[in-house]
Amino acid sequence: MIKHHPKFELLEAFVNGDLPASLSIAITIHADMCPLCQQKILQLTEQVAEQSFEEDVISLDNLDNLDSSSHFDISIDDDLESDALFDSMISNITFSEDVAEVVKPTDKSVTFKDKTYVLPTVLSNIGFGKTANVGKLSRSRLQLNEDEIHTNLLHINAGGGVPAHTHKGFELTVLLDGSFTDHEGEYNKGDFIMLDGTFTHTPVSENGCLCYTVANDALHFTQGINKLLNPIGSFIY
Amino acid sequence: MVAIQTNLPTHVSHAKSSSMTDKIDHTQLSAWLKEVADARCKIAFTHLFKFFAPKIQRIARSKFPNEAQSHEVVQDTMSNVWRKAHLFDSDKGAATTWVYTIMRNVTFDILRKIKSNREDNLSDDIWPIAESAAAEEQPYEDHLENKQLLRVIEALPETQQEVVKGFYLMEMSQEQLANHLNLPLGTIKSRLRLALAKLKVHLGEDND
Ligand SMILES: [Zn+2]
Repeated sequence: MIKHHPKFELLEAFVNGDLPASLSIAITIHADMCPLCQQKILQLTEQVAEQSFEEDVISLDNLDNLDSSSHFDISIDDDLESDALFDSMISNITFSEDVAEVVKPTDKSVTFKDKTYVLPTVLSNIGFGKTANVGKLSRSRLQLNEDEIHTNLLHINAGGGVPAHTHKGFELTVLLDGSFTDHEGEYNKGDFIMLDGTFTHTPVSENGCLCYTVANDALHFTQGINKLLNPIGSFIY
Repeated sequence: MVAIQTNLPTHVSHAKSSSMTDKIDHTQLSAWLKEVADARCKIAFTHLFKFFAPKIQRIARSKFPNEAQSHEVVQDTMSNVWRKAHLFDSDKGAATTWVYTIMRNVTFDILRKIKSNREDNLSDDIWPIAESAAAEEQPYEDHLENKQLLRVIEALPETQQEVVKGFYLMEMSQEQLANHLNLPLGTIKSRLRLALAKLKVHLGEDND
């Protein structure tokens, strides 16, 4: 049972195409498992589309009436220029008789330790770095090239956990398989957990789990001996 | 080309006639898309183009500082409309939603090319345009390997290696290691610290 969902503002930014690939992918993964959010996304897309295409007042069809109908400060030269440009676009586009074939990507699978997982379809065309193992944690970085935003598959072996840590930025976890707990409770497959930098938590996975994680800063371990792990905080997220 | 109408958008006027914004004639837009799909009808496409292109250009201009890029959005979006019209299903949603999806995806891929220097065109995986009936097999390549960390560890000095292997691979505590290797806890800690610093450099380089 999914209990944690992306908040509305995030879904809205997703529909608008304003989120980085890492976060857009996270929402796609969640929505594929969450009919509730899927429905919201469909509705939002419909609304945004309607707004996008109904606001236009001057189209090329009434360009001739521009003088009388426009009380906006639009340069007629610009529009005439784009008129010619548009005509050439139309003939270029329709010159080709090609029809696009849609090829559905084949799902990828990954193996951590001895467990194999089929990955969400949205990850099919993304490259992964090599797996780094730290105790019961394994992670593989997605090659998204988004500067300070790091995206990983994080696998926690049964009985493993991430030592107490905070972030300066955000930390997003989407549970792909299995479950983990922290002081807030239990998280299950499909849960979308967004934490901001003020949060300290210590996730532990009794039976193991696979997560898709996005963070824009290295982890900062906060307790005792685990402070030793700070140099490797950036491996995990 | 059959006898489907190819008129200009009929300005369906609903109650709010004072408004300058016209209601969108969804039936007409869908009919044009169907003509493009079934008959590759250039007239229907021209109607679609004249309805959508100026709006797409205006929206794109708000996202790109560069006019050439907003033209690229118009060109790519409308080209996809031409080439993918057969994937539009009016039972599943409005033509505006379908074209919006294409425009948003094109924009996303161009922005990603600019910001992240990646031409991986992820948008159609994030927001699939249409479910494909025939899913073709694609060669699958597994990029994941487990050996890299071990290689890096094995390049460390012997004394650091045994500490690292014990701590990470055998999951022993530092106290257990101190007992096991008959060394002071402080030595274990400092060796681990040195080793971690080296591991960080190696893995950081290769993974970031
Ligand atoms: Zn949800």
